[in-house]
Amino acid sequence: MTLTKPALALIALALTAPALQAQTGQPVSAGKAAVVAVDPTAMQALKEMGNELQALKRFKVATELTGERVLADGQKLQHSASAVVYADRPNKMRARMISARNERELVYDGTTVTLYAPAQKSYSTTTFSGTLDELVNRLEQRYGIDVPLSDLFSWGTPLAPLDKIESAMNAGQDFIGDDLCDHYAFRQGNIDWQVWISVGPKKLPRKLVITNRADEARPQSISLIDWQLKPNFTASTFKLTPPKGSTAVELRVLDQK
Amino acid sequence: MSKSYKKLFAAPLAALVLSSFVMAPTAEARGGGMGGGHAARAGGGERQIDNSRRDVRTNNVRSTSVTNVNRNVNVNRNVNVDVDRHGGCCGGWDNGYYHPVATAAAVTATAVVTAAVVGSIVRTIPANCVPVNYGGIIYQQCGTTWYQPQGGQYIVINPPY
Repeated sequence: MTLTKPALALIALALTAPALQAQTGQPVSAGKAAVVAVDPTAMQALKEMGNELQALKRFKVATELTGERVLADGQKLQHSASAVVYADRPNKMRARMISARNERELVYDGTTVTLYAPAQKSYSTTTFSGTLDELVNRLEQRYGIDVPLSDLFSWGTPLAPLDKIESAMNAGQDFIGDDLCDHYAFRQGNIDWQVWISVGPKKLPRKLVITNRADEARPQSISLIDWQLKPNFTASTFKLTPPKGSTAVELRVLDQK
Repeated sequence: MSKSYKKLFAAPLAALVLSSFVMAPTAEARGGGMGGGHAARAGGGERQIDNSRRDVRTNNVRSTSVTNVNRNVNVNRNVNVDVDRHGGCCGGWDNGYYHPVATAAAVTATAVVTAAVVGSIVRTIPANCVPVNYGGIIYQQCGTTWYQPQGGQYIVINPPY
């Protein structure tokens, strides 16, 4: 069999093409499979989740968290914590936080924020009026107090700016408990994070993983999130009266050095 | 060793243990949830964390995981910056760690009781202490010495601010 000159040239091209492609790293076809740093469908899913969260008027949400701390030499230790958050928009919240070292309660009734530590029988109060999103931001900014699952109050608001996300991708699907979820992965600044959003009428986060890249040991937190969308709130849910014998403790504003 | 010697030793020890509880009314005790039927930790009962045998190296925390995504984005700071708050630490609601204690390595596990060396653990704190809630954690400031509660005991820490 003899090959014509054009045919030989074609074969030569076919043989060298993969090498060229490997050198430049360019995909052969720039179709749907092309890699975009920020996948718009992942961003859309995040937006929808944010809207869904902001539309929830009353809910009870529980979380089990596994966190990590890095020791001086880079060895990591894990710890566990759990929390339950009761929310009644626009301006009522209760959060109960339990970790090995600390048990605390935070109650916001629309006018006053009370923090109570049952183990030490001490409480602190401060006045505040505003929405839950504002409250969460205020507690963090002014007092350095982290509300459990605070992202739930930030997503879908300007407090969670989407333009800061440098990478977004769909990581497939997964089960969290019995719920089928879409799994998304994001990268922004020093943190990588992943969220599992339930598939179905309610697109709510069921799991959140945050990897802190500021430390080379990359300590990670894992939060499983359980929703109750028809909670039974009573008059006392958003009231906290410190028991007799409790000590009032100054709530010190964060030192901004 | 004779029985009587053991007894001799046991009595003051028991007294010490008892008195330490009496003198430390603010020591952590589980239970006693309040209001609205929010019971204490499931399983109930008076359960106390005991960290007395904990290795001092575990106090030397250089960084931690973070518990939320958006705080870091908004204020454009990361957990390392948080750590720099006068040695104050990280402020996650899950705080399962203690204040960074730079000199912890110099303290042996047996160096309990009196010395207010940073990283040392005491059962009781002096009478002149003032509690303060900073970053959601209640510290005891006793003159120039700062204590952080730790499972019914206290660890001497660097000033949080």
